[in-house]
Amino acid sequence: MINIPSTIRISLRALRVNKMRSALTMLGIIIGVGAVIAMLAVGTGAQQRIGDQLASIGSNLIMIVPGATTAGGVRMGAGTQPTLSMGDAEAIQRECPAVLYVAPILSGVAQVVYGNQNWSTGVTGTTINMLFVRDWSLTGGRPFTEEEIRSAAKVCLLGQSVVDNLFGGIDPVGQVIRIKNVPFTVIGVLDVKGQDPRGQDQDDIIYVPVTTAQKRLFGTTFPGMVRLIMVKAKGPDDLPAAERQITELLRQRHRIGQKQDDDFTVRNLTSMMQAAEQSTKVMTLLLGAIASVSLLVGGIGIMNIMLVSVTERTREIGIRMAIGAKTWDIRLQFIIEALILSLIGGVVGLIAGVTASKIVTMLAGWSTVVSPFSILLAFGFSGFVGIFFGFYPAYKASLLDPIEALRYE
Amino acid sequence: MAIIETQDITKVYQLGEIALNALNHVSLTIEKGEFISIMGPSGSGKSTFMNILGCLDRPTGGRYLLEGVDVAHMSRDELAAIRNKKIGFVFQGFNLLPRTSALENVELPLLYDGLNAKERAERAAAALATVGLAGRENHHPNQLSGGQQQRVAIARALVNDAPLILADEPTGNLDTKTSSEIMELFARLNREADITIIIVTHEKEISEFSRRRICFRDGVVVSDESVVRA
Repeated sequence: MINIPSTIRISLRALRVNKMRSALTMLGIIIGVGAVIAMLAVGTGAQQRIGDQLASIGSNLIMIVPGATTAGGVRMGAGTQPTLSMGDAEAIQRECPAVLYVAPILSGVAQVVYGNQNWSTGVTGTTINMLFVRDWSLTGGRPFTEEEIRSAAKVCLLGQSVVDNLFGGIDPVGQVIRIKNVPFTVIGVLDVKGQDPRGQDQDDIIYVPVTTAQKRLFGTTFPGMVRLIMVKAKGPDDLPAAERQITELLRQRHRIGQKQDDDFTVRNLTSMMQAAEQSTKVMTLLLGAIASVSLLVGGIGIMNIMLVSVTERTREIGIRMAIGAKTWDIRLQFIIEALILSLIGGVVGLIAGVTASKIVTMLAGWSTVVSPFSILLAFGFSGFVGIFFGFYPAYKASLLDPIEALRYE
Repeated sequence: MAIIETQDITKVYQLGEIALNALNHVSLTIEKGEFISIMGPSGSGKSTFMNILGCLDRPTGGRYLLEGVDVAHMSRDELAAIRNKKIGFVFQGFNLLPRTSALENVELPLLYDGLNAKERAERAAAALATVGLAGRENHHPNQLSGGQQQRVAIARALVNDAPLILADEPTGNLDTKTSSEIMELFARLNREADITIIIVTHEKEISEFSRRRICFRDGVVVSDESVVRA
């Protein structure tokens, strides 16, 4: 019968006797576990940030861009051909069952003036639905009304960055700003969204009614045309259906024949973002895998020390065998020694890893997240390393011949 | 029933091409409560014989009955259990665990017998008291004299109430005075606790403490006689 508590006590005593050596062996595991935890924390932090950004651009988004024009054999790139119209947007809203909201966009860059301040920013002409498509709420004021859209009213909603740059401390709602010299009344302020996944400031924007944009700001030679149409599908599962329905509808509306190419492109924004999220996940795994190598090296350190320890304590093993230690008594003693080394190393490494990720957050400003999973992983792995690398030395010890071992000097 | 009975024990070491007969058909009977000294020059086979008696080694041939049980062909772990319960070892070099207190050294056999901490400490303290080391429980081997260390080793051999103590040159590292003290202790344990004691020694004077002297030479018993005290 093997007495586990006593074996643990025997092992602890052996480790205490060689304090310096035990500490150095543990250091390998501490660094390994610490690295795994810190790396996973950095990776998970990045992943979470991308997830947040993904949520900030809105969920279940589809973007429809006009096709490319060709001017004398020179193809001008996507969005240059004015093929999308307000009518298309309305038709999509009306006829595609998988679509929840549709927002047409007619945008451009314009100089904006308030008092003695001026600022260049993106001005987007759109409808009320834009706020629903982007899951965007207001911090002050009110959204457009149907009437304002119909009548091409000179009203606007400001993003927070525009407010900061033009108004300083003043409440902008009710003030009049000039966009391309046209006076607009500020009726509302958009909530802060921060950067989008490409690092662009989403708050540096002004929304005006799409009709106003057409008439006053970015009027083109093609009245009723829009730059792009943003669509929110009913749910993540409805995205493919929505894409299909939109494509069919637009081909029909644009009278595109069976063999002709589309004169527009339907892009699924969410899936693009999910790809970005996927790649961060891969990066996290990669970082974790690299850090695990150091944990492995720590494990080899444990094995090395345990082998030295077995040789050095051959006589002790002989004595223990002579007075009745069985094969597994000896094995367990050394395995438990290795396990204690690796587990204590694991706990200290955990603390080190969490501290390191806090420092990274503080110094580099990266968000880091220590997930319970990474703690469990690092801990489980260090325990496994202890048993795995402790076993061979323990096995070697248990095979010693007691007579030889007793004679060992 | 004899505590030890060996029947035609042989031990052959195969050294390459040459077979070395360390023990050549040794048959001996030792009764419970005997005090025996084993003598012989080096290479005579006495150490091999002791290792077999101590269940540290297995004979090549023959039968070894310990308290009537044939242990010659038991497994490693079975032999370990026998050593733990039936045999106490005392070595020339004491063989105590360094940096470990006297009490913990004595507790060791009980640890492998699965006793709880309280019982271990009580029995170890009692064994230390028996060998005259009460009060030294927390001393480490390097804080004790050679004689005291050997007493700790004897206490360790006693602690599991083993009926047999095997001592391999227990006085080899001790001066004459301490040697006789240790031998007196063995004699007292033999007399009072009825423990069977077998010691290996080079010295005639040491063997005088025993009551039966067995001499080995070239793997065979050459003499087996009662000790007549001078």
